[in-house]
Amino acid sequence: MRNCLAASFLTAAAALAMLLALAPTPGFSQSGAAPRIPRMADGKPDFTGVYAGPAYRSWKTGRVAKDDTDNAGITIYDRQKMAPFKPEGFEFMSRPFTGQIPIDDPTELCLPNGLTRQFMSPYAQQWVQHKDVILNITEYMHFVRIIPIGAPNRPHDPDVELTWMGDSIGWWEGDTMVIDTIGLKEWHLDATINGGNAIPADERGRQRWHSDRLHVIERLKYKDPANPAFLSYEITIDDPVIFTRPWSQEFGYTRHATWKLLEYVCEENNRCLGGDCKPPAGSQ
Amino acid sequence: MKRIVTGVSLVFVLSLGLFLTPLLAHHAFSAEYDRNKPVKLEGVVKKVEWMNPHIWFYVDVKDASGKVTTWGFSGGPPGQLARRGITKNVLKPGDYVKVEGFAAKNGTTNATGGNVTFADGRAVFAGSSEDVVPGQN
Repeated sequence: MRNCLAASFLTAAAALAMLLALAPTPGFSQSGAAPRIPRMADGKPDFTGVYAGPAYRSWKTGRVAKDDTDNAGITIYDRQKMAPFKPEGFEFMSRPFTGQIPIDDPTELCLPNGLTRQFMSPYAQQWVQHKDVILNITEYMHFVRIIPIGAPNRPHDPDVELTWMGDSIGWWEGDTMVIDTIGLKEWHLDATINGGNAIPADERGRQRWHSDRLHVIERLKYKDPANPAFLSYEITIDDPVIFTRPWSQEFGYTRHATWKLLEYVCEENNRCLGGDCKPPAGSQ
Repeated sequence: MKRIVTGVSLVFVLSLGLFLTPLLAHHAFSAEYDRNKPVKLEGVVKKVEWMNPHIWFYVDVKDASGKVTTWGFSGGPPGQLARRGITKNVLKPGDYVKVEGFAAKNGTTNATGGNVTFADGRAVFAGSSEDVVPGQN
């Protein structure tokens, strides 16, 4: 009798253990391998955190290195992703180097990257989210984009000034944050000047530009609802001066729990402020 | 074309341009440095500036006659190095190093310092392929 009771107890315990193993655990996926994505009080995804942006390797490999380190490289847009060019569109976009550093690469003078080049900079970025606003803070040059969240496709400020980061408005489409930007001054499209072997043959010795009619649409979402480590970031380039239609390319962000943004003062030790890059007299 | 500037520890090799595509997040590499002028130098670290937008370190390079020339090398930004686990403690004045990089276009004794190796073979900045890559490839 005692043995029979013990056997029944063990069977029940085993069944209970199986049920517990199969039941979803709050905050974790059913596999138990990864926590679910964080959400705001209103149920929308919360992207708040410090990330390695698209320049880092991890969003492609799905891995970060030991000690939460990550490795970056200059990233440029993939020519294969671009829409067909309008007549003279290629010449507008891809301009031969002038030999003048302020034109060929204004960042040498600590001038901004501009929106379409900035998010691909190989520095950390932080997303800070509130129900009415989302902020993107890039360590490089300390740029802060303050993006109000509201109704979809609402109009931009009609008197918007042309700036490096433009006028951005955001809205939700399901679990995707859509950021719509206009008001961007004619500036570099990406860091082609640093593109090395990735530059297509007909763009060697040239720098990519966009026009001031550029319209950018960014779509930010979690890549996997069961994994808070990776964000999908798709950017749509709609530049009617250059392309026959809008085109998109997907990049990604990787959350780094131990990272924080560092101070970055470009002028602190810049050797190229006059356009002639050399250490100051006496430094050697 | 190949030109060798003789010296105990100063070697220029022109027109090779095969190794290293340094990550210069702020600098425009092609505006400042010449891919056709790779440099391989060694000497004693004189000074380190662990500052933005790029670290700089200076190396006293001695030639066969004993003449010392100080070379300035530009490296990665401090934040980016930190995220690869590299802190300012890795490179100190007095260290003997071998440096590989590319010389400045303007003819000064400046170069990128993509690879730094200590006398005992430890690589400081190596092991981090900085090749430029297209976004989605």
